[in-house]
Amino acid sequence: MTDTSRYSSRSLRRVGLRLHNDWQLYVLLIPALVMIIIFSYVPMYGVQIVFRDYKAAFGITGSKWVGLKNFTDFLQGPYFARRLSNTFLLNLYGLAIGFPIPVVMAILLNQMNKPRFKKLTQTAIYVPHFISTVVMAGILYLFFSPTNGIVNYLIETLGGKSIYFMIEPGWFRTLFIGSDIWQHAGWNTILYIAVLTGIDPELYEAATIDGATKSRRIWHIDIPHLIPVATMMLILSCGSLLGSNTDKALLMQTSGNLPTSDIIGVYVYTQGLVKGTQFSFTAAIGLFMNVISFVMVISVNWISRKLGETSLF
Amino acid sequence: MQAKVLETPKKMKERLRVPRIRATSVRAPEMKKNTAIKGTRSDRIFDAVNLVVWIVLLFIILYPLYLIVISSVSDPTAIHAGKVLFLPVDFSLMGYEAVFAQKEIWNSYLNSIFYTVVGSGISVAITLAAAYALTRKFIGKSVVNFIFIFTMFFNGGLIPTFLTMRDMHLYNTRTIMIIINCVSVWNLMIARTYISSTVPNELYEAAVIDGSNHFRYFFKMVLPLSGTIIAVLCVYYGVSRWNDYFTALVYIRNRALLPLQTILREVLATLTTSTTTDSFFDAYEGNVQGMVDAIRKAEVAKYCCIVISTGPAVVLYVFMQKYFVKGVMIGSLKG
Repeated sequence: MTDTSRYSSRSLRRVGLRLHNDWQLYVLLIPALVMIIIFSYVPMYGVQIVFRDYKAAFGITGSKWVGLKNFTDFLQGPYFARRLSNTFLLNLYGLAIGFPIPVVMAILLNQMNKPRFKKLTQTAIYVPHFISTVVMAGILYLFFSPTNGIVNYLIETLGGKSIYFMIEPGWFRTLFIGSDIWQHAGWNTILYIAVLTGIDPELYEAATIDGATKSRRIWHIDIPHLIPVATMMLILSCGSLLGSNTDKALLMQTSGNLPTSDIIGVYVYTQGLVKGTQFSFTAAIGLFMNVISFVMVISVNWISRKLGETSLF
Repeated sequence: MQAKVLETPKKMKERLRVPRIRATSVRAPEMKKNTAIKGTRSDRIFDAVNLVVWIVLLFIILYPLYLIVISSVSDPTAIHAGKVLFLPVDFSLMGYEAVFAQKEIWNSYLNSIFYTVVGSGISVAITLAAAYALTRKFIGKSVVNFIFIFTMFFNGGLIPTFLTMRDMHLYNTRTIMIIINCVSVWNLMIARTYISSTVPNELYEAAVIDGSNHFRYFFKMVLPLSGTIIAVLCVYYGVSRWNDYFTALVYIRNRALLPLQTILREVLATLTTSTTTDSFFDAYEGNVQGMVDAIRKAEVAKYCCIVISTGPAVVLYVFMQKYFVKGVMIGSLKG
């Protein structure tokens, strides 16, 4: 340590602040890079099957070229419009309702003046996040069951008629988004709470002295601080507007709620893997959605930068 | 407002403080005239509303979880009659007995533990090593960064990935359950931010002068200082592996290799009870009453399944949460 004090850090940097063996950094990076290449980049090479008619016997590179046939088949398919709008609406409603809630929760939690209750709350609201998708869907099936679910029990006690929630198309989005918010809204406050706890307390003191009430302080201090982070999260979410919640939708899909639950991700899974024949066709659908999502993130990011707000890159 | 400006800050602070102390003890009517009180009173209303909102929210969040736990130890008939609302009714462990009697559940439970422990261990090690490397300067760093970040926005998709894995003979093996999606770029970025913001650069400078190399610096300095982020990564990777059913659904055909969640899917996420009952309680007595009992038993068994599968994740979180929340915050702030 005495050695360090003799050199200022600037002079060290001028000499070239390097440990004398940078090759070790590459060694540390290699495992992660190999994994990413195998699981992300090699499959991207396999994406070429969307322009081919994939047959297992010929493999990815040996199957016949068919040009854009797979895409036109999908775009002209009978349920194309329904699947696209179901996918889009499910995500749009989810984002529109689910996005503001964690921001509001974080602000309210930050204003809580009972430290012990605040701590308990913070611990409790993260818990549902640790429930798996399967269990979440299971809970929905149990609680919303028409024969012995608690929700229908309450409806009947109050004089209503029991509803078969899981097969009614009109309830699919509500249950899907509602359970998503129940599970993840608390968890999603973490980022915003981190921002709020990072605000200089002097700002609040000064505002209090100037006679600002709590609601005033939230409006003039908390919200301006949250906007950059919230914008960033919104940009990231826009990429998933056409993304697939395949795993959850697959669990919640029943033959009854198909008119609203028939989304592209589930279709790709059932057509491509369950039936196991239409690999090229379903891969084309996947690529189509991926490209649109990618373009959306880039353009939202670009717009956000033009407006002088935050941008990701 | 103009009169306030003339006051000294100290005086004003006192004026503001006095009513706040009073507010908890006595409500003095003459104080209401004071403008400062108006501020604190609106604050008090705000606090009260805030408290009520949170009590309601906590109820909404915690009651379903509580209901599952009490239902799992109640009598199936009572659940069916809607009697189980606040306390267990006719305490019985019938559901747990039924679940534990299932060999397949036990087997998948062990599989899940294996996949989670080994898989997260590998993930955490690889992620930390790469995260450290990304905090240093080296030739080609921007290329490496791009290679990682690009995968956050674009991927090959389900089908090409599946075909690639099949061509690599990873289909239907334990290996794929452990190493697929082994590195999460998001976690990598969190770890990188954490290391670069908590391990002081002076330490690195000292190590340079002492002639240390990157391996030694990483193992002797960075790792011991990264306890918090290691905890965060363990929970992130561990919980996502434990909770994943889709990977096995896609890549595993052999039932002996299935993890718990995939088995649970068959038990929980089905519309009718009859299929479940068939696979789970095929030995009902053959008479009608026996069948009804079996169906109800299967219903309780569902609650028990939820408890035994979610329990480990929640317990892990509750034990780790002290380190955890702090680590997530530091890591995510810049990322």
